[in-house]
Amino acid sequence: MARYGMLINTKKCVGCYACRVACQMVNSLAPEESFISFNELEQGSYPNVYAEVVPVQCMHCEDAPCEAVCPTHATYTTDSGVVLVDEGKCIGCKYCMAACPYGARVQIEETGVIEKCRFCWYEGEPGNPPRCVNTCISGARIFGDLDDPESEICREIARTNAQPLAGNLTAAKIYYVR
Amino acid sequence: MRCNPTRRTFLKGTAATAVLAAGGACSLGAWQREQAEAAGALTSGPSLCNGCSSKCGLVATTRDGRLWTVEGMEEHPYSKGTLCGRGHGTAQWAYSDGRLTQPMKRVEDGSFAPISWDDAFAEIGAKVQEIVAEAGPEALAIIQDPRPSGKYYSKRFMNALGSANVYTHAAACNLSKESGIEQATGAQNFSVDFANTKMVVFIGRSYGDAIRPSSVKSLAGAAAKGARVVIVDPRLNNTGVFATDWVPIKPGTDIALLLGIANVLVTRDLYDHEFVEQHAVGFPEFAAQVADYTPEWAEGICDVPAATIEELAESLAAAAPACAIEPSWRAAFGCAYQNSFETARCVCAVNALLGSWGQKGGALLTSSPKAGDLDPAKFPKVPAPASPRLGDEEYPLALSGTGTNLAVLNGCNDGAIQGVFFYNSNAVQGYAQPAKWREALAKAKLVVTIDVQMSETALESDYVLPECTVLERLELPEFIGGKKHYVALRTPVLERIHPETKPCDEIFAGLAEACGVGQYFPFTVEELADAQLASVGTSLDEVREAGIVELTDPEFAYGVPTFKTPTEKFQFTSEKVGTAGLNPVIGYVGRLVEPAEGEFFLVGGKQGIHSHTMTMNLEALNAISREYGLERLWMATSDAESLGIADGDTVEVESSEATGQVTVKVTERLKPGVLFLPTHYGSTSPYLTRAQGLGINMMDFVPLHLEPKVGSVMSQEVAVKVRKVEG
Repeated sequence: MARYGMLINTKKCVGCYACRVACQMVNSLAPEESFISFNELEQGSYPNVYAEVVPVQCMHCEDAPCEAVCPTHATYTTDSGVVLVDEGKCIGCKYCMAACPYGARVQIEETGVIEKCRFCWYEGEPGNPPRCVNTCISGARIFGDLDDPESEICREIARTNAQPLAGNLTAAKIYYVR
Repeated sequence: MRCNPTRRTFLKGTAATAVLAAGGACSLGAWQREQAEAAGALTSGPSLCNGCSSKCGLVATTRDGRLWTVEGMEEHPYSKGTLCGRGHGTAQWAYSDGRLTQPMKRVEDGSFAPISWDDAFAEIGAKVQEIVAEAGPEALAIIQDPRPSGKYYSKRFMNALGSANVYTHAAACNLSKESGIEQATGAQNFSVDFANTKMVVFIGRSYGDAIRPSSVKSLAGAAAKGARVVIVDPRLNNTGVFATDWVPIKPGTDIALLLGIANVLVTRDLYDHEFVEQHAVGFPEFAAQVADYTPEWAEGICDVPAATIEELAESLAAAAPACAIEPSWRAAFGCAYQNSFETARCVCAVNALLGSWGQKGGALLTSSPKAGDLDPAKFPKVPAPASPRLGDEEYPLALSGTGTNLAVLNGCNDGAIQGVFFYNSNAVQGYAQPAKWREALAKAKLVVTIDVQMSETALESDYVLPECTVLERLELPEFIGGKKHYVALRTPVLERIHPETKPCDEIFAGLAEACGVGQYFPFTVEELADAQLASVGTSLDEVREAGIVELTDPEFAYGVPTFKTPTEKFQFTSEKVGTAGLNPVIGYVGRLVEPAEGEFFLVGGKQGIHSHTMTMNLEALNAISREYGLERLWMATSDAESLGIADGDTVEVESSEATGQVTVKVTERLKPGVLFLPTHYGSTSPYLTRAQGLGINMMDFVPLHLEPKVGSVMSQEVAVKVRKVEG
């Protein structure tokens, strides 16, 4: 069984928001609702400055705090490591929103369900690749099987020493090059 | 490509007629719920984006006829399989609540009332004929931002009426840059061979902010291969992630940096002798003049250290010919300063000294395909207008294909122009100071705007004619040049949402008929498209199906190109520039406006999710601007500290022309003494409910003044004062 993850190379991200809008379209989200948020960071001082945009979305944590606190088990993890929400079980209590250290859970206004990125999961599999990866204009995103050492994502994680955003905090499956 | 939604296999494991939720912008929850209901069918079709003038290829997938997703077309040389955020956002235009849904006429109290197409055409036609009878056809003009059909139909319509007054948006875009490149090289633009370049210098332009996906990919590829990427910009822009060097510079003085580099290349004998001797004219005059432009002289003007200028020149020489100064677009010298035309010539001159023209890794001139001759019986030739285009005499260096649209503004003021048409153009809000446009258009007897929304220009019009949106219309073929040649097509992938909207071709044919020149439009857009495509060896059916077709290989080869100048050589001197009354030899011209003590430079620029003012009201894109405060004015940390301004404070900006209030973003990414304002904001149209009042419009602050002999708007020749607004 695969164990799906993603790599985001902030050294290639120009902050064009293509991932956000493509994600909104495929998931039919309202314009103000987004599964991806963006953190614009500056380091150093003029004229020695480094600027980066860090896109953040559900990290599909192996130790998912949102899943652990969910009182109805609406949040669950598939065999391939993708964290999903069973909307029929979600009672909209927002406990998951409070528990997620990445702020990745989003309440859908129309239904009240607390949703999030699901790697474009459909009929038992994630998107191949998910839309945010598919449309990234600079190739800053790579999706694949973290258990397959020959996969592009594994080779790139090794080559770039990509790391989860918060170290080992939640065993996140999105790796960042920064 | 049609009916093949799984081309990119997003819906892995599902067939072309996948079961999915029925219609509607339902929420994710509803979507999940409805998946099981096995309703709805997916259909995919190719088209062209209208998010900017790149017109990238896309594949749109509809679900029960309603747009669901768009993807970048793999085969299109600009999208290469991806679309930017703006592309996804503008694809949704058909459903925007800010659309015009029927023709409108301005009534006596100044408001707008619906009018039928028949009445609108008839009334416009009568007015046009009245103007022609009284003042001649040269009192009519059209301004358009070129789109595949629009550029053809608007020109044909105006020429059929007997007027040569056809203008593009260029005077507020890339007019100076392209006019300057033309005088030096005979071409209007060039490209950098990123796949093989060792060093590239960007002057103001940011691929990461004014996005064409293929450009970003090329640059990312060059950076990954270790190319040196230098960004010369007062602001560390969003292309910074690919840069090896950021060279902050005083706005409007890039010309001094370039001449300083040229000085080093010439005086230290680092230039390409063979190129300048065999393929150029005017080098001795240029070399004599450039001797004065030492790096120290340049530092005094542009505030880049002389040592940096020397190092850049030496590194370029070492990388030559696999290096180039990038040509830019609107950015620092498209239309921004008194010296923008000359800055473009200097860019070309440095590339000439480096011998990079046509070389692997250097500056390339490529060719473009076009439609061949068509059957005159079916597509009658329009006689050439008797009078020359207004403005061409005063601005002889303006590119002939674009002219300067500001001649129309001036023409309205002095009575030379009495009837103005706008197609896909929000001139009032973006081409010069809005108050000046309003004043001028108020004097015209007839103003007609064709657009998809009630823009600021539409608000100043007597009639507003609604076009259907991009994915609802077929347009004429779009020919694409470069190392390879292509032709692509904007095809309708959605049924027309609002029945009282029309595509460009029908609107112009209707106008022509009403104005008494219908005999020049005896064909449909399909017939014309098919004839144009047949002339290059393909057909409407073929391109409609595929979206894009590659044409005969132009067999691009590296090597010094043929310069299509009058001398057939690269021109360090231009006779035409001399005849216009400017220095024929490429040299120094200063900027016009210098900030006084306590004043700031104000520079503008694009953001990746917006195209000028056009996209500001679109739901998905406006939401991003609001969530991330993208309308803010950038100010350097040290300036903010000395003025007691904190991030998020509101400030009042004041120029000789206007005052306005805006929120501040305090940043280390900006040269002190400079303010940066994104140029999309400050809509004043009450019809554009979410754009109106968000941020301020830079053009309000800029005096109306035109670049001599070129006619660009000099969009950044302005100085401003800033003070904190106490909350």
